[in-house]
Amino acid sequence: MIPATLRVTLIAVVICYFIVILYFLKKKALNLKYMLLWLVAGVVMGVLVAVPELLTRIIHIFGIQDNMNGLFIFAIGFVIMILLSLTSIASRQNQKIRTLTQELAILEKRVRDLEKKDTK
Amino acid sequence: MINNKLVYAQKTVQKWGKDMEQKRRVLVIIPAYNEAENIVHVVRHMMETAPQYDYLVINDGSTDNTPDLCRSENFHYLDLSINMGIGGAVQAGYIYARKNNYDIAVQMDGDGQHDIAYLDKLLEPLIRGEADITIGSRFLEKEGFQSSATRRVGIYFLSGLIWLVTGKRVMDVTSGYRAVNRMFIEIYSKDFPMDYSEPEAIVSAVMHRGRIKEIPVQMRAREGGVSSITFKKSVYYMIKVTLAILICRMGYGVRRAKREDV
Repeated sequence: MIPATLRVTLIAVVICYFIVILYFLKKKALNLKYMLLWLVAGVVMGVLVAVPELLTRIIHIFGIQDNMNGLFIFAIGFVIMILLSLTSIASRQNQKIRTLTQELAILEKRVRDLEKKDTK
Repeated sequence: MINNKLVYAQKTVQKWGKDMEQKRRVLVIIPAYNEAENIVHVVRHMMETAPQYDYLVINDGSTDNTPDLCRSENFHYLDLSINMGIGGAVQAGYIYARKNNYDIAVQMDGDGQHDIAYLDKLLEPLIRGEADITIGSRFLEKEGFQSSATRRVGIYFLSGLIWLVTGKRVMDVTSGYRAVNRMFIEIYSKDFPMDYSEPEAIVSAVMHRGRIKEIPVQMRAREGGVSSITFKKSVYYMIKVTLAILICRMGYGVRRAKREDV
């Protein structure tokens, strides 16, 4: 079982987490599209803190003995998944920037050529 | 009399044929990253010796005065605002070639390593429709600049790897001197490998059932400036290219049926 004091701390942390996320959303510093992932993470955390028996049961399915270890493993796994999705987002944006730069350069040449024609 | 006329007619047809061949529009793509020392010489030399072909210098976000030189010399050039690596620069050239309906695009380095005199040889198989891609190869006749021994070992390894995954033996896989027909202008303008792209482009070409032909050429040691691949970077290069080749090959899944090789 998770000790009571730890549960209180965790609940406080989850609440802070949601406040920060909502603050970012309000400031529009984050796209709702990417925000969904973090919101889901917050909800999962909230549920696990509210119903710790659930965590114990899930952890035992995977054969992990200690509750805290289980929590850490899940947390790390989740962070890795988020990092992976961030990398894929970065790659996609990289691709888009590449296409834009190429198109921009081609347009720029066209403008230059047209200007040349005009001055002639 | 009739005979004479016939011969004359035949000659005219032959001449037309030749004209038709020459009317293929060829674009020479010259990527240049910090090539201020070489680029003017390279482009001027090309304009003097092969004025029938169009060229396009691609300034890949150079930090020196390469773009200023292009402007003051009144060259045809694309000015990429960000440095994107050779792959991105060359691809910009392919996109330009596609948009302007060129029949053949040629990649040629802006550092003076590649001799414009071999251009016709590279184009010939494409014009005759015998190949889709021609690659200028240093190692077929082993003449001219051969690169250092360590580099040759690396290139041979990559060549073997490409042979292993595609079944096509290309000797000079890192040669950036190549010509492609309209089919591959389309393909490469949509999908071209990113950084050190030459070996990977061969894999994707084979996977698109492209007919690749190597043409013996002589290369020169670069005329000035610094090569983009320093010794320090070569280990990184080898690892990255090896991975890139494997991943590129995996991306195409089951082996595609091979077209008759030339």
